[in-house]
Amino acid sequence: MSILDYNGAAIMAMKGKDCVAIAADRRFGVQAQTVSMDFDKIFEMGPHLYIGLPGLATDVQTVSQRLNFRLKMYELRENRKIKPKTFMSMVSNLLYERRFGPYFVEPVIAGLDPKTFQPFIASMDLIGCPMITDDFVVSGTCSEQMYGMCESLWEPNLEPEDLFETISQALMNAFDRDAVSGWGAVVYIIEKDKVTKRLLKTRMD
Amino acid sequence: MDSQMNELYGNNGPKQVHFSPYAFNGGTVLAVAGEDFAVVASDTRLSEGFSIHSRDTPKTYKLSDKTVLGSCGFHGDVLTLTKVIGARLKMFEHSHNKKMSTSSIAAMLSTMLYYKRFFPYYVYNIIGGIDDEGKGCVYSFDPVGSYEREAYRAGGSASSMLQPLLDNQIGFKNQEGATVVPLSKEKAVALVKDVFISAAERDIYTGDAIIVQVVTKDGVKTEQFPLRKD
Amino acid sequence: MEAGMSCLTNPPPFWKNGPQPGGIYNFPNSSATHSNTSESQRSAYPIVTGTSVLGLKFNGGVVIAADMLGSYGSLARFRNISRLSKINDSTVIGCGGDYADFQFLSSVIEQRVIDEECLNDGFGFTPKSMFSWLTRVLYNRRSKFNPLWNVYVVAGYQDEQPFLGYVDKIGVAYEAPAISSGFGSHIALPILREEMEKNTNMNENEAIALVQRCMKLLYYRDARSLNKYQYAVITKTGAAIHGPVVPETNWEIAHLIQGYE
Repeated sequence: MSILDYNGAAIMAMKGKDCVAIAADRRFGVQAQTVSMDFDKIFEMGPHLYIGLPGLATDVQTVSQRLNFRLKMYELRENRKIKPKTFMSMVSNLLYERRFGPYFVEPVIAGLDPKTFQPFIASMDLIGCPMITDDFVVSGTCSEQMYGMCESLWEPNLEPEDLFETISQALMNAFDRDAVSGWGAVVYIIEKDKVTKRLLKTRMD
Repeated sequence: MDSQMNELYGNNGPKQVHFSPYAFNGGTVLAVAGEDFAVVASDTRLSEGFSIHSRDTPKTYKLSDKTVLGSCGFHGDVLTLTKVIGARLKMFEHSHNKKMSTSSIAAMLSTMLYYKRFFPYYVYNIIGGIDDEGKGCVYSFDPVGSYEREAYRAGGSASSMLQPLLDNQIGFKNQEGATVVPLSKEKAVALVKDVFISAAERDIYTGDAIIVQVVTKDGVKTEQFPLRKD
Repeated sequence: MEAGMSCLTNPPPFWKNGPQPGGIYNFPNSSATHSNTSESQRSAYPIVTGTSVLGLKFNGGVVIAADMLGSYGSLARFRNISRLSKINDSTVIGCGGDYADFQFLSSVIEQRVIDEECLNDGFGFTPKSMFSWLTRVLYNRRSKFNPLWNVYVVAGYQDEQPFLGYVDKIGVAYEAPAISSGFGSHIALPILREEMEKNTNMNENEAIALVQRCMKLLYYRDARSLNKYQYAVITKTGAAIHGPVVPETNWEIAHLIQGYE
């Protein structure tokens, strides 16, 4: 079994009209055994910038902390907020530094540009190969299920409330067909002047 | 890893060709049961690795006026299994002077698959049809014969993409306070087309066209619908 | 994610998207080693081999072609062997893979044709019956772990319709308007398919010209091929194997390729 599947996770991000959404499940487990149901996999990296880190839980926390450090160093030196695309390069660089002994995380990035508020989503493999898309990105132990859901449910220019419903349904129905992810979910809807965080109650088996 | 490197860079010595009795030829099958009908669908692509053998090989097999089988996986086993099923159905018909019912075909298929438990048919089977009471039914199988009756099921290479959507749209899963309306034939067929279009976007083993077979008490109607061919 | 080519050449496990049986729990006193218990494997690899076979349907018939080389590994061992075999006036088969297995099966087929002839009932092999029979023989041999290491392309004319089918050593079989086995499925088949899409109602001469173009192309690009081939045309008037054909080649642009002399 792959190390990437050891703890289990499901994360996706979607673009809407002048908004983006990022959502994740809340399970932390060790193979088939569920340990906790309030585990954070999405981390705030700025007022309009979030990163989701599915993969090996220890690396999830290490990578989030190291990114936090590098981000603060960047913002101190530059004295401005980072752009999502620049942040993506930062994540990519951090991961590629460990090319031959990688962190076992495959990140998902969602955010709005700090100046123009342009929506941005991207995903990456565990050694930092980035992929920017205009619709949705998925990552985690049930990526096939998430692709199936997103490919059918997503449509362009969704308003924030519709985007919330779409990403929630896509995520929940996807991880209900995965044994090692689920047990509750969290959804962030990122708009120009507000970020809404909602916790979803889902089936717990 | 080393052997892959050698294969890629060609610096390998004499190599032994190994015989594998199985291949994976892709394909996706899907069946949905309604009140008095069943829909069985499959794509028509036959592939192996990155090659497409054929763009017109349907994986649905009409077994009787009341029963359709969807079957994919290793195509050699699919051909053999469907041939043996055909022979068994003829033998039954000649000795009992009647057609085998859908539930009996499902039970027979289960024993046929388990008979080869230790050299299995590498085949994912889903049966759709009309049961003895005239109701729509779906039976799904694993390659070694474990089976159950269900309302809907996807099988084969894109099954993990289709199944959650069926849960959501037909099973109304994760929809709080949604009114559960009985599935109409038209909605079932439209949904089947939709999910296959989605699967063809992401699964390289699903594409070219879909065959939709609608089973009712009046027999089987077949529809074909193009998918992306790349 | 399992990367690399092995996941494409080997079938994925029966139960995918989940842990392997026994992958999550360790049952006490159970050893996870499952030894392969197939007691005998006879022809586990091919010796003298033939490369691609091409086949193409056209309006009113079929054409198939195969070159005349029998390779012994990378050695061009036999340079004048026929890989096409005429069964009767409506059926021709072409063979790739192990040549000895082809000769063995040819002798079986020949005897069956004679037996059928002796019955003098007017019945014999048709393209469809030949195709079905070959599929069963190859599948049964693979099921006994004693495969006939071949790919067969069956071409013929039956019920006023051209027939073209493919069977391989594990019993995967299908019919298609254009078929190529082996290396040709990467080099020639895309060209056959493209030309058929452009010209949906190809006639005999166009089809033969196209197959000849593809055979020359394969000679240029397939290291295990030979500049000498046969082709068979099957129409309602009968079946005929033509050749050997030795096409003109042109190596003028070869010097542009780095590493060539």
